[in-house]
Amino acid sequence: MQYALLAYSPPEDTDRATRPIPAALAAQLDRPDVTGWARLHAEESATTLRHHDDGRMLLTDGPFIDSKEYLGGLFLVEADNLDGALAIAEALLQETRPGTAIEVRPVLDGRFRGA
Amino acid sequence: MLAILVGILGDLELAEEAAAEAFAVAAERWPRDGEPANPAGWLVTTARNRAIDQLRRRQVLAAKTMLLARDLEAGPEPPEALMDDTAAIPDERLELIFTCCHPALALEAQVALTLRTLGGLSTEEIALAFLVPFETMSKRLTRARHKIRDARIPFAVPPDHQLPDRLAAVLAVVYLIFSQGWGGGRVDLAAEAVHLGRALAGLMPDEPEVLALLALMLLHDARRAARLRDGQVVRLDDQDRTLWDTGQIDQGRALLQRAMTRGRTGPYLLQAAIADLYLQEPRDWQQIAALYAALARQTGSPVIEMNRAVAVAEIDGPEAGLAILDRLDLHDYRYFHSTRADLLRRAGRPSEAHHAYRRALDLAQTEPEQRFLQDRLDETTPSDPGQPSRAGT
Repeated sequence: MQYALLAYSPPEDTDRATRPIPAALAAQLDRPDVTGWARLHAEESATTLRHHDDGRMLLTDGPFIDSKEYLGGLFLVEADNLDGALAIAEALLQETRPGTAIEVRPVLDGRFRGA
Repeated sequence: MLAILVGILGDLELAEEAAAEAFAVAAERWPRDGEPANPAGWLVTTARNRAIDQLRRRQVLAAKTMLLARDLEAGPEPPEALMDDTAAIPDERLELIFTCCHPALALEAQVALTLRTLGGLSTEEIALAFLVPFETMSKRLTRARHKIRDARIPFAVPPDHQLPDRLAAVLAVVYLIFSQGWGGGRVDLAAEAVHLGRALAGLMPDEPEVLALLALMLLHDARRAARLRDGQVVRLDDQDRTLWDTGQIDQGRALLQRAMTRGRTGPYLLQAAIADLYLQEPRDWQQIAALYAALARQTGSPVIEMNRAVAVAEIDGPEAGLAILDRLDLHDYRYFHSTRADLLRRAGRPSEAHHAYRRALDLAQTEPEQRFLQDRLDETTPSDPGQPSRAGT
């Protein structure tokens, strides 16, 4: 069984890009049972994509603001730039249920290996 | 120059810092050693060298230094070569404006960034123009620059399939800057927008909507000198036509003609055509109303419907115009109330007009508009029974 562990950061924590991962945490990340991890850029780098009434996609600057929706999944994608990532997100969103939103966040660093 | 540097460096913040440093060096050196043969080339080269120093200092950006170093190795261009030939410097303003107006940035950030990087306004001027504290504007700009860097918003002209949407976003930003300046605020945003429009028309001479937007702004802006008198807004029909800039009107009309020959009828083309009709006497209200109807169908905008109501009022009387206004939900829009007030006044409903002018005055943002509305308000002040009304005298 695989599990996704979701880490939430306090809002004042915006300088993460300049901070190295602490050695003790890095050691945990190297455990064999940690099959992948990603450190994300702060919330202000986020772009959110939603279904719009007219069938088009609505793009907004900023993170998905949680109300009653719950986190339903995550995708890791490779793209040259934000436009590439948004194109993939749009294709994925196209096939999801109405009311779904996808927040696109750049990955700061990470490691992934097959399940 | 900034656009060129962003093109070379791929980082807006770094480019701005480097440009500032280059200008500082120039200010110190040029008076002493004389101005170089090619000042622009000198500045770019100096800024690029400063940026490379800066990047080397920043260990975290090792990858970028490699990229830059590779560029330099690939083209072993001695700085002198760059200084000799300005034409060798690519114009990358177009890439820059598409980055600044990327839809992943909030509209207010797009506007601020465009004015800062392409218009060259200071953060303080932009803050003043949009009536927000300096700190707020400064944060807005910093956040936008960081997002461009961290999320890697591309520095490129979008591919064909995205171009129409992305170009519309760019034009919307420029027109928003123009509209903000039109109210007669303290910073000359209208001139900034015309300047940006000219640059865009030079960079995309075959895009009808780009030409049409410039035409639209020129036709409006040609009335600038007549539009304010003693710090007060003057209505179109009361304007001194000898103050209109006929050269600019001719330019606008020529651009409109060029845009029309390209076949597509976009929203800016319709608006420019309407602006042109407004300048002609006698005014062809039928055609104006028809163009507004076409524009309302294209944009679905209630503001356009409001303007159509004004044209319809000229054809069928103020009550017909008011009937259209009553269907619109624009109660937070300042011009809605002044438009409605004017029609109510003409329909012989002064107390309702007075109330509407009051609403408009509450929402007015600039002093010239406030003075204009205050006068209209005074004109429609309900008079004592038996006293003749001041309105219309």
